[in-house]
Amino acid sequence: MRKPVLALLVLALAGGSTLGLAACGSSSGGKEGGTLTGSYAEFPEYLDPALAYSSESWTAIYDTYIPLLTYAHASGPAGSKVIPGLATSLPKVSNNGKTYTLTLRKGLKYSDGTPVKASDFPASVERMLALESGGSSFYTGIVGAEKFAETKQGHVSGIKADDKTGKIVIDLTKPRGTFTNELALPFVALLPKGTPVKNLTADLPPASGPYKIVKTEPGRGWSYERNPQWAKTNGKLMPEIPGGHVNKIAIKVASNDSTQVNEVERGKTDWMQTAISADLYPKVKEKYEGTQFRVEPTVSTYYFWMNTTKAPFDDLKVRQAVNYAVNPAALERIYAGTLSPLHQILPPGMPGHKPFDLYPHDMAKAKKMIAEANPSDRDITVWTDNESPNNEAGQYYQGVLQELGFNAKFKEISAENYAPLIGNENTPDLDTGWFDWFEDYPHPNDFFQPQLSGESIQPTSNYNLARIDDPALNKKIVELNEEPLRPQQEADYAQLDREFMEQAPWAPYGSLTTSTFVSSAIDLGKVIYNPTFGDDLTSFQFK
Amino acid sequence: MAEESIAATGPAGDSPWRLALRRLRRNRVALGFLGLFVLIVVFVLAAPLWADNVAETGPNKTHTLQKIEVDGEKRDVVNPEGKPIGPVWFGAGGKFFLGADSRLGRDEMVRLMYGGRTSLFIGIVAALLTTLLATLLGLLSGYYRGWTDTAISRAMDVVWAFPVLLLAIALGLVLAVGGLQIGPLHLSGGSIWIPILIIGFVSTPYMARPLRGEVLALREKEFVEAAVAQGAGSLRIMLAELLPNLWSTIIVFFTLNIAASMLLESALSFLGVGVQAPNASWGTMIATSNNLISSAPLLTIIPGTMILLTVLSLNVFGDGLRDALDPKSKVRFEAHSGLSAPEGSETIEGLTP
Repeated sequence: MRKPVLALLVLALAGGSTLGLAACGSSSGGKEGGTLTGSYAEFPEYLDPALAYSSESWTAIYDTYIPLLTYAHASGPAGSKVIPGLATSLPKVSNNGKTYTLTLRKGLKYSDGTPVKASDFPASVERMLALESGGSSFYTGIVGAEKFAETKQGHVSGIKADDKTGKIVIDLTKPRGTFTNELALPFVALLPKGTPVKNLTADLPPASGPYKIVKTEPGRGWSYERNPQWAKTNGKLMPEIPGGHVNKIAIKVASNDSTQVNEVERGKTDWMQTAISADLYPKVKEKYEGTQFRVEPTVSTYYFWMNTTKAPFDDLKVRQAVNYAVNPAALERIYAGTLSPLHQILPPGMPGHKPFDLYPHDMAKAKKMIAEANPSDRDITVWTDNESPNNEAGQYYQGVLQELGFNAKFKEISAENYAPLIGNENTPDLDTGWFDWFEDYPHPNDFFQPQLSGESIQPTSNYNLARIDDPALNKKIVELNEEPLRPQQEADYAQLDREFMEQAPWAPYGSLTTSTFVSSAIDLGKVIYNPTFGDDLTSFQFK
Repeated sequence: MAEESIAATGPAGDSPWRLALRRLRRNRVALGFLGLFVLIVVFVLAAPLWADNVAETGPNKTHTLQKIEVDGEKRDVVNPEGKPIGPVWFGAGGKFFLGADSRLGRDEMVRLMYGGRTSLFIGIVAALLTTLLATLLGLLSGYYRGWTDTAISRAMDVVWAFPVLLLAIALGLVLAVGGLQIGPLHLSGGSIWIPILIIGFVSTPYMARPLRGEVLALREKEFVEAAVAQGAGSLRIMLAELLPNLWSTIIVFFTLNIAASMLLESALSFLGVGVQAPNASWGTMIATSNNLISSAPLLTIIPGTMILLTVLSLNVFGDGLRDALDPKSKVRFEAHSGLSAPEGSETIEGLTP
């Protein structure tokens, strides 16, 4: 998952931090009710669960659209645990890992009162595939899904749903070790059958979680209210999911992060989702750490991608030279110390991460390699979003490329349009640029398959930005994902990391540390920061 | 020569231009601000000299990890917390005179000088483009009237219907990504000509309209009738009879357009749809330093002050030029406002309020 904005700095607020308490928001200490106000730097690119694929959007919909499975509402490693969502239990896996069987909880309702049916699951999967979601590649291993994604005709034959019994059977073409994690992603959150196959961000479908989004003003903000069905039925049926403490949540877009910080300091807003800029970070940390501010680790990789299908980056030597030229230490300073240097695919905290650096910074060697490669096409475009310091990282990168002798032009795109634009094959001059990736779930396949597998290259919503399509490495990705993640597989993933870096489709440079910043009215100690979803809105509680 | 021009000639037989120059010389305020503008131009033209011989760096060269010696003490250009070094004046032999611009550690002084070149270049070329287009359209529209006038005026109305900044932003957003293709001519999205064309285009109606009005009035004058009687063609009447009588208006508009174009460029660049990073203009410098406004406010104040001084100098000089070229407009202004004339300006006896 990408976090277009430096984003993660999230916060989360507080609330029923223990899993069990949740159903209707009861907890020890703190107030119940009230309106939580928060701010985002940018309106998320999508709030429609089938399309949403950024940390900002996932934070926004974590507590509204619930898949069959979901992630525990907890901070740290505990938050990476998959728990039952709308399903009664974790899936029963059979047929050598190719068949997953789940049962829908009985009596669930959407926020508009419509009963949740088992057949809503295949309909939601088909809607997601028809919309060419960026998450499609997670589910094309379902029998018939690939054909449906291509033709958008008929149905996905590998999903059988029985509305009477609530039983859902999913057949895969081959075993997939990450499928349980993928069933817990918002892409396959259940929506009523017949939900229009279009981006519904401005007019969202009914919710199944503790909150529903009642009003959306794209570009300006959105607001939540409690889902009336939660107290009646859903909350009792899904005790693992907390019901939240506040009655309403109002989110506004405030592009200036100084304003966001100032408003949180003054208590005008209770929480800011946006990362605190490097300019303000030291001051905020010094003044509020422990009371309103908390540093949060993330599992992320920041990198520059190089389009391996186009000159000059179709030449391995050029890509390797760029890796030698990029200096993670310089980028660490540009990110004002919120970034740990990293020169590989898998970041710390991800199973399979084994530190190595094939390309220690050496500009002289890089220049020599470029001279040897002598690329005929030196006119390139460097892409980045407009969030600081990502845009400064992009400018640094452009300077590095110019020092290597390229005529590097610079294109800075607004953060909310950046991923759709560079993920569209019709966008001209997609040569190289900045990107980041945060874990979707704690499995190394999440870093390899969407971003580095040739099978994931798609015309739109493409995240394999390097467009690398190495048959041998593709095969390894598939084979490793057919097995459960054990120490041997982790070692194999570490080896895969090295093999990809030998091909140098990226020049990785760091892994981000983020933070949570809330107003003095919020109990920071109860704030949950989920490693996948960031702030858990159900955990926000006024003191 | 046209009747109006003859009437404006002074008793000593001086040409209207010489009279205007004499009036301008007496307007010390306008001349003072002209001097300030010239100083600014000299300052930005000296950018390569300063960059090569004093700062020893380029406007886009980054120095993130570099240390410099300031008064014998080694200091980070960007400290580990990401704060750029502030002004060191001559503490490092002129290097980082105004400090570093951002976490990229670029020399602020060098960028200020090069950014000024960009801003002034865009301001002047966009104003030239506006002036050229507006004069052409004003002449055609006012002289031919009828369908020509209707077509041009309605087209101008369409452009005028949009707030100038919004229209410029919309065009900038579209063109910043895809660039511009006009026949064989292709401009990439990052080209400096994109903001020039946008500003020149959106500003045109604001100058073409008054010129058209003036042409409409001039074409009814006797000297035009005389030219027609002598068998002069339309092109000759427009170029030889009407255009000379528009010069004073055009010149005044041009100076004011430079200032307006620079302001618009700054706004567009600040919003990310004008000059594209990493190229410096005073607008992009403010945009860059916006992220550091609480810890390094000078980075915003310095380019902002340069914009202020340049626009102010052009506006005051433009006003002085208008008073010199068309003293009646000053009288009209005074008659309506009741203000007294500034030092060095003339009044026409009998017309003062």
